[in-house]
Amino acid sequence: MKTLSRMAIALAGGLLITTTGCEFPPIDTVQLGFRGVGMEHVANPRTVQDSVDAVLAREPFVPGPPDEFGDPAPPGTWENVQVLGHLSEAEFNRFKLAMTTWVAAATGEGCNYCHVIEDSGEVNFASDAKYQKVVSRSMISMTQTANVEYAAHVGEAGVNCWTCHQGQVQPVNRWYFGDRPDPPSAGSMIERPQWERHYLDRDDARLINQTALSRNREENVSLQDTEYTYWLMIQMSEHLGVNCTYCHTSARFSDWDESPPQRVHAMRGLDMVRTMNMEYIVPLTDELPEHRLGPEGDGAKINCATCHAGAWKPQYGLPATHGIDWPALMQIGVSHPTGNGAADAGEELSGAP
Amino acid sequence: MAMLSFEEKYRVRGGTLIGGDLFDFWIGPFYVGFFGVVSIFFATLGTALCVWGAAIGEGLAGQTWNLWQINIAPPPLEYGLGIAPMLEGGLWQAITVCAIIAFVSWALRQAEIAKKLGMGYHVPVAFGVAVGAYIVLVVVRPFLLGAWGHGFPYGIISHLDWVSNVGYQYLHFHYNPAHMLAITFFFTNALALGLHGSLILSVTNPPKNEPSLKTSEHENTYFRDTLGYSIGAIGIHRLGLFLALNAGIWSAVCIVISGPFWTRGWPEWWSWWLNIPIWA
Repeated sequence: MKTLSRMAIALAGGLLITTTGCEFPPIDTVQLGFRGVGMEHVANPRTVQDSVDAVLAREPFVPGPPDEFGDPAPPGTWENVQVLGHLSEAEFNRFKLAMTTWVAAATGEGCNYCHVIEDSGEVNFASDAKYQKVVSRSMISMTQTANVEYAAHVGEAGVNCWTCHQGQVQPVNRWYFGDRPDPPSAGSMIERPQWERHYLDRDDARLINQTALSRNREENVSLQDTEYTYWLMIQMSEHLGVNCTYCHTSARFSDWDESPPQRVHAMRGLDMVRTMNMEYIVPLTDELPEHRLGPEGDGAKINCATCHAGAWKPQYGLPATHGIDWPALMQIGVSHPTGNGAADAGEELSGAP
Repeated sequence: MAMLSFEEKYRVRGGTLIGGDLFDFWIGPFYVGFFGVVSIFFATLGTALCVWGAAIGEGLAGQTWNLWQINIAPPPLEYGLGIAPMLEGGLWQAITVCAIIAFVSWALRQAEIAKKLGMGYHVPVAFGVAVGAYIVLVVVRPFLLGAWGHGFPYGIISHLDWVSNVGYQYLHFHYNPAHMLAITFFFTNALALGLHGSLILSVTNPPKNEPSLKTSEHENTYFRDTLGYSIGAIGIHRLGLFLALNAGIWSAVCIVISGPFWTRGWPEWWSWWLNIPIWA
């Protein structure tokens, strides 16, 4: 009897360990290919509902409908407005107000998170003294670029600041070199390594030997490089909440003809992430104070999770994530003329500050 | 086929599970039995349906007689647990029913033979594990996921595509703990069979200058010398059964937990290891 009860305890303990963290039916599945070939998206509807609820709880206050028909503000309305010169005064104020909830809500500082309060007690809106202002100008410009040049990825609806920031000064999902990967299963044994350069300046994830065991070394792909691709893919998968078959036919991963269209979408997204990091985010490193830098002295950088946060559509496509209601973000911004002559009127900024 | 001298005494009438002495006879050396007839009937019907499916080409590859490409695919997921039109997976459903009836009947025929011979039910039980694994694959898991379309397609290449894609639905199937166990049992089973088979071949084929046939003493000595332990003549068969059945059982477990009980990547499942309070 003693042995039996010991065995029962061991069995119960074993079951407890092996079923902890288990999920249970019903499970949602979506067919992505011909019937029966296992091309499927698999999701736990309860987990998804929990994260949808969490997003809804964060939904920002949105000030009024857009002033779509207002003409651009007359010259001299503002000083030092470099990327929002195409807005009417009403729309400009609406957008500025929204930004305080999209980005600076958690600080409780409102406008003053970016704008300087002079000794006299007045707010100097024109001053670039705070790094936050320089950074947000670049971020506005980056979002305009995303909505105009990467409409193929962000869609007609576009994106706004809240899509990623979720009321936080820095989006929760960001990365630095020398940091532990997150989630840990994406490279659990290694620190932030070379493969994350795919989010920066590297565009060679499509590695596959065209000749089996070729004697020509040039034709052979190194194990190290394929490992980079592997971790990049594992991380993308976890960041987007999708599996391999969402974008690939597993028998022929590299073959575009047999891949679901989502793969093209993801490729454009990677392309967008590279542009954002290389042209807008990395160049800001020198502007950042010490406490915003990672262990190796680099600033926060983005990857798919920065916007997607584990969902195939950022914040499950909630309308609050859309840029379409924000004229500020749906075209490449122009500099607001100072009113001192036509020298800088209509000057287009190229994006990078 | 002439009957061997000792066969007569094994041909015992009666002891059938159902149907009394219906089909309780032998054709040549083969026992027929009610379940033998049922099994052959449904195996033939199912195969004929497969051939018909190939002839009309209802699968992805279209009409083909290329043995590699013939494909009988399950219904689209939209039909859920309902019956699908014949050319949209209904054929797969019919063939699956035929296959299950044929396999189960064959196991029951084995049980009848075991009963007639007054022996244990090891053979039908062992075969039942394989049949059970098949049923888990095409009935239990699809049922738990809510659509027959989760079953695997009947076709040489197409079922390989299914295996590959379903594995990659969970990112890296080698991290599936039950898959790890199943593979380990399959490989260990092959190793044990290799050791046992080579031993039997060597004791039954002694060199020319040595006496014919070695005894179990020889067998035990060989393994005590090389491995330090000999499991013995009965033991190796018990071990073989244990390893083989576990291979099948854990295969079934590893696929039924993928989807119904875990929707994310299998590498991620191991986060519990990283989070053990000892070092987390």
